[in-house]
Amino acid sequence: MSRNKDTARALIQQKRRRRQWLTFLRVCRYGLSNFRRNAWLTVAATLVMTITLLIIFATFVAQQALRDTASTIGKELDRSIYLKSGTTEAQAKPVMVALQRLSNVERVSFISTDDGKNNFARDNKNDDARLRALTEASNRLPATIRIYLYDTSDTSELVEFVNTNTTLKKLISTQPGQTPTFMGERGLPTDVIASWTQTAQKIGVAATALFVAVSFLIIFNTIRMAIFNRRDEIEMMKLIGANKEFIRGPFLIEAIVYGVIAAVIATGIGLVTLLLMSERLQAWGVTIQPTIQFLTGYLWLVVLVMMMIGSVIGVVSSLLATRRYLKI
Amino acid sequence: MILLDRVSKKYDKDTKPALDRISLHVEPNEFVIIVGTSGAGKSTLLKLLTREEKPTTGKIVVGGIDYDTLKDKHIPLLRRKIGVVFQDFKLLPQRTVFENIAFALEIAGMSNREIRNTVPKVIELVGLQGKEKQFPHQLSGGEQQRVAIARAVVRQPKILIADEPTGNLDPKHSWDIVRLLEKINRYGTTVLLTTHNVEIVNRLKRRVITIDHGKITHDQARGSYRQ
Repeated sequence: MSRNKDTARALIQQKRRRRQWLTFLRVCRYGLSNFRRNAWLTVAATLVMTITLLIIFATFVAQQALRDTASTIGKELDRSIYLKSGTTEAQAKPVMVALQRLSNVERVSFISTDDGKNNFARDNKNDDARLRALTEASNRLPATIRIYLYDTSDTSELVEFVNTNTTLKKLISTQPGQTPTFMGERGLPTDVIASWTQTAQKIGVAATALFVAVSFLIIFNTIRMAIFNRRDEIEMMKLIGANKEFIRGPFLIEAIVYGVIAAVIATGIGLVTLLLMSERLQAWGVTIQPTIQFLTGYLWLVVLVMMMIGSVIGVVSSLLATRRYLKI
Repeated sequence: MILLDRVSKKYDKDTKPALDRISLHVEPNEFVIIVGTSGAGKSTLLKLLTREEKPTTGKIVVGGIDYDTLKDKHIPLLRRKIGVVFQDFKLLPQRTVFENIAFALEIAGMSNREIRNTVPKVIELVGLQGKEKQFPHQLSGGEQQRVAIARAVVRQPKILIADEPTGNLDPKHSWDIVRLLEKINRYGTTVLLTTHNVEIVNRLKRRVITIDHGKITHDQARGSYRQ
């Protein structure tokens, strides 16, 4: 008896699940057919969504490229401590050993006064005025300790060392303009690069937020217009017994389709543009190759994430519109 | 089948009630014609029955369902038990005759096989064989109303509400529709028909309920049209 009851219950559940699945498939079908029916509204909504996703894509690429470029430049950066002119490597050795022990120091090198002079002459071999200045100058070039850091943005340890190490204090140059510097050879302080990165991030986030908001509004209005256009149909659906999910579902599917199509278009346009510009970007000193490698290597994942972002924008705006204008 | 007990409906506090304490009892399998001038309260009565509107006071019981205890989430289930036909047909313009009728079964979660079996029978009942693949705009007004009736009865509802179904039709097509409603009634469905058509009311010799200013002024077993 109880076995029969269980079987009956299982059958009812199975039937209910089959009905729910059928209803879901039908809602998808109606959503897709609505997408085809409202050609112009669809094109407008998909276009805006594409622009939004492109901006998100561009923001991501720009941030990655900036980070990579900053890291490349950072690796080439070094820090210099100028010692009294004529200081020998042997004299500087204890300081260099102490520096090498600092946790953020990767390596340390010594440039004697003569090496510095030769380097200067080599670097400025085409500049007669500078070469003449080198021979005529009364003050001699300092000896230099070059320090290469692991984390180029963190100089706190180094600053503290320079201020507290007593051996260094005896050796350090007292000439004006030869105080320890934490700038690299390119003359680009790390904090400038960091501030660029931060500014670019802020602009990216602001542009993304703005376009996501615009996209929300346009899709919200598109769905609102679609609801308005189909009010008789919706009225009829309600009166013949369609439930909320059946009436709202197609609008949600429609919005998801906007997102999915826009994601494919935006990723395509974004990636092709990036590939076309990659040589020029590299010529400008932008480290773009790792970003391109990531995007092409994980293309399916990138498209999937873009689809998800597009779908979320579509679903949220569509839900708001149907909640507000679809009185069921 | 339908029971209304002192039902009133007021849309606005300051205006007169659209329906004023009306009581009505309709037996299963009855064919009832509701007449009245525009604004008399006919549409309000039908909207109360389909639960588009809630009464201000009074009790409504349809097919054993007490509307006082009916939860909002169960309204679609109630509406699947009541067939509704409108003056302006309300067909889906982008869908064929078959698809329009099938739609009523799709929303109820019926399987494709059941739909393929059921819809042709209803198409035959309303006399639209051969027009399954046509779109509404390719049909005459009378044919469109037949599609609407087919959609309303395809789920075999206990009650069919026809709100001025002949309002947009010429006399010949009007009679075709009325005959179809009679046929559906003969198969066991309670029919509620609202109309302005004097000839239909007088020739049908059915129960006629006259509503005027929100009140039932006449209820005749084999009635005729009263101005």
